[in-house]
Amino acid sequence: MMNLLSLLLPLQDVSAEVIDRIPSGYNHFILPYFIGILFCISWLLVGLLRNLASLPAEDRKRLALSLVTPKTAWKNIRDLFCDCLFHTKIWKRKPLLGYMHSAIAFGWFMLIILGHCEVALFVPKHLSFKEGNLFYPIFYRFFVWANPEHTTLRGSLFFFLMDFFLLYVLSGIGLAMFKRIRSIALGMRHTTKPSLADRVALYALWSIFPLRLLAESFTANLSGGSFLTYSANVLLRWLFGENLYIMPWWWAYSIALGLFFFAMPFSRYMHILTEPLLILYRNAGLKIRTLNRGFGEAEIYACSSCGLCLDACPMNIQKKNLRFSSVYLIRFLRRHNQAKVDRIADKCLQCGKCAQLCPVGVNAPAMRVVQRSLSNNVIPYHYAYMQDVAAAAPASQGKVLYFAGCMTRLTPRIIKGVEKVLQTAGIDYVFADKEGGLCCGRPLMLAGRTDAARKAIEANRQMILSSGCTTLLVSCPICYKVFREEYDLPGIRIVHYTEFIQELIASGKLSMEKDGTRYVYHDPCELGRGCGIYEEPRAVLSQAGTLCHASKERDESLCCGGSLGSLTLNYKDRGKITEGALETLLAENPECIVTACPLCLKTFSEKSAVPVKDFAEVVAGHLPQASA
Amino acid sequence: MKKNILIIGGGPAGLEAAASLKHSGNNIILIEKSHQLGGHLARWDRLFPDGIRAREVLDKMIASLDGVNYFTDTDIAQINILDRSYSVILSNGISVLADAVLMATGFDLFDARKKEEYGYGIYDQVITNADLEDWFRTREDSRIDHPKRIGFVHCVGSRDEKSGCRACSKVCCATAVKQACEIKAEFPDAQVYCFYMDLRMFGKHYEDLYLKAQKEYGIRFIRGRVSEVAEQIDKTLQVKAEDTLSSKPLKVTLDLLVLMSGIRPSQNLEPVRKALQLAKDDDGFINERDAVYELQKTSMPGLFVAGAVTGPKTLPDTLAEARAAALQILSYLADNDKKPAK
Repeated sequence: MMNLLSLLLPLQDVSAEVIDRIPSGYNHFILPYFIGILFCISWLLVGLLRNLASLPAEDRKRLALSLVTPKTAWKNIRDLFCDCLFHTKIWKRKPLLGYMHSAIAFGWFMLIILGHCEVALFVPKHLSFKEGNLFYPIFYRFFVWANPEHTTLRGSLFFFLMDFFLLYVLSGIGLAMFKRIRSIALGMRHTTKPSLADRVALYALWSIFPLRLLAESFTANLSGGSFLTYSANVLLRWLFGENLYIMPWWWAYSIALGLFFFAMPFSRYMHILTEPLLILYRNAGLKIRTLNRGFGEAEIYACSSCGLCLDACPMNIQKKNLRFSSVYLIRFLRRHNQAKVDRIADKCLQCGKCAQLCPVGVNAPAMRVVQRSLSNNVIPYHYAYMQDVAAAAPASQGKVLYFAGCMTRLTPRIIKGVEKVLQTAGIDYVFADKEGGLCCGRPLMLAGRTDAARKAIEANRQMILSSGCTTLLVSCPICYKVFREEYDLPGIRIVHYTEFIQELIASGKLSMEKDGTRYVYHDPCELGRGCGIYEEPRAVLSQAGTLCHASKERDESLCCGGSLGSLTLNYKDRGKITEGALETLLAENPECIVTACPLCLKTFSEKSAVPVKDFAEVVAGHLPQASA
Repeated sequence: MKKNILIIGGGPAGLEAAASLKHSGNNIILIEKSHQLGGHLARWDRLFPDGIRAREVLDKMIASLDGVNYFTDTDIAQINILDRSYSVILSNGISVLADAVLMATGFDLFDARKKEEYGYGIYDQVITNADLEDWFRTREDSRIDHPKRIGFVHCVGSRDEKSGCRACSKVCCATAVKQACEIKAEFPDAQVYCFYMDLRMFGKHYEDLYLKAQKEYGIRFIRGRVSEVAEQIDKTLQVKAEDTLSSKPLKVTLDLLVLMSGIRPSQNLEPVRKALQLAKDDDGFINERDAVYELQKTSMPGLFVAGAVTGPKTLPDTLAEARAAALQILSYLADNDKKPAK
């Protein structure tokens, strides 16, 4: 056996090497690793400087300020640990997948940290500060030998920890390999198609840790090791005899590392190093202004291409629409493939689920809107007529101003319901757009027509401010979101009717009579993920009847298919999305579907076999008979 | 040998086919799911373009049935495909071994409540074309009380992808113009508007009817879809539209709004269609074998179609298809006799 191996691997004798390895801290085998990481670091450094330079001056100032503000600094630290190392967001949804990611990320991180500790503790100072210090922590077991029989307790603790974390990483790698074969076992129906650079980096990453295990195992009788490496070493010596050929394994390990770092900037693994930057930018409160520069570029490179957005996207009820997922938007943005980027950007329904579930927190819907604005803002229109709206403010000094919005005006039963509830509760209100009004601006925003949206927002803002109202009540979540985010209305409370009615009931101004009807509540995208309102409508509906669960609800809720967000999705595909969403709603056989968005109401009503009702309509139907 | 021919549907297509087949020496069984014969025709008062009474036409059809077996309030409980026939169990318990089946199942009117912006089922003064025909026939509808301003909305649930139908329903334009003239004749001092996309007056005398509506009845035709309808406190309706000829937005107050509900595939038919493995079009209507030469045949031998089961049709077209189907069924049965049994 030994003879055969020595024929195949004509290598130097181990004992001959011993002497010059320790003092120099250098061996030729580190070269692949060294070149790889040198390339990677310089590439990243140039990229980072370019990115920082492309930030607008005001954003740069904001970033600097956020780094020294204790509150954001603390948030940065917490997010860096939770998102980058522990992957808590994935843990919460898919525990096994979370384990896989955190095993690789946190395990590797600990190996690096512990490696440096070992060097600091055990390598003589005069050596570690000389030329060798670069490679001691990475290839510690090669350069520093400790006779296993004479290790101190402190030393063996480190040996144990290093072996433990290596095993931890290896378990993650094992799961990752299994995921390639059967992703559903880890909770993913679809995974991304890896690009060429992804593949190179992926296979390199897969081989790094098994090779490290082999290299350290081959050396363990000389360098020392713990339960994993030393046991493997005993096995290896039993198999191949006492004189083990260690060099090929260290070379292979170094090559795998080098290859990984070399491929990294071109692959999905770039996110390991760019995600921290995105976290800092995000916590500093920066907004996406342009793609391929500044914050937008950080988002693009922070995408880990993990493909969790594939299963999240409601369009993917049809497999052919997988190609419009956020992960591919970002891939083609990276490749500057304008035609594909435009097509993907326009197709999205803007339901926000991919952004909500993204482990890195990439806001792909916002990126799509920016992309849309590049081509859609060029159409010239006249907006003079908007001034009439601004001037026609209904006097509502100190009162509630009800703004129904275009979509509610097309679904009159909502208006009927809202008015009945308001009258029953004795609210003094004024109907702002009874005679017609102006678009809230949100659909224009979604279409990337930001200039037009600004015009509409300003005209509406003037109308609302000069009305003198103190509360602005809306029944459409689409309006609600834009009012909350884009309107500057000092002193005016903006409230959605689900919140308002819940408060009326809580304060005793309104009471409801419960019956046995089984309701299911559909979370509209703009209200749930868009504005974080999940509890209020449920609290009210549970007083109208029995509230059933949908198989996907709250932040997992599916778009109804009628969204204004998509510019190009055809009605047939939308219909499929509607049918899919209805299926999730009917999981517990409810008798009635309730939603709090005119668009969801309209979309579901056309397809549903079960009656679909508006939130206010249900409330109005459950008012006590005396007052009704 | 006497053959069994099953006709599903007792509307104009089914009745006419049954009448055409009754002297062929075969055993005809006609079934109708509702309690009376006539289908949508029984609900209609007068017919375009000349205003003949629907009842008179229907009475003639029923009279010419003359001895054909028919069952009302009867549906198909089960249908199975056999080698050269269809085994059918009816909801009244009778089972039939049919050598040929004619599907004359007609259509459903679009449920106007699904176009919620027009307010049908929410506002009192919004009715459909079928409601108006009911009133013409019975004079019983509290909503129609000397209206002064009346509007007709064309293409409700047709030519409208959002409501799930791209296709034209073919008959609503002429029906709207007919109904507009009729209601104007009832209320001569009323102002009548028709909101249309374009008027598809393709048939004989249709264009004359359109001209007469403008010249003699003073109906005002406005090219533009109604965008939204709102109810005022006094129950009148405020209708917003765009006059696309003058490119101006338009707001009118009306006392009555009539929605021209379009023709949609029959929902009742779905289980039968599935049992027979018949393909349907994107719009939900049954596919004929080809759209030019074999209009009455389907992908299944011995299974024939006539009338609106394959898409919107005028009444004369439906009757012509029924007669054609009868001939095709007879030639199919004759051919089948010549073939050796398996």
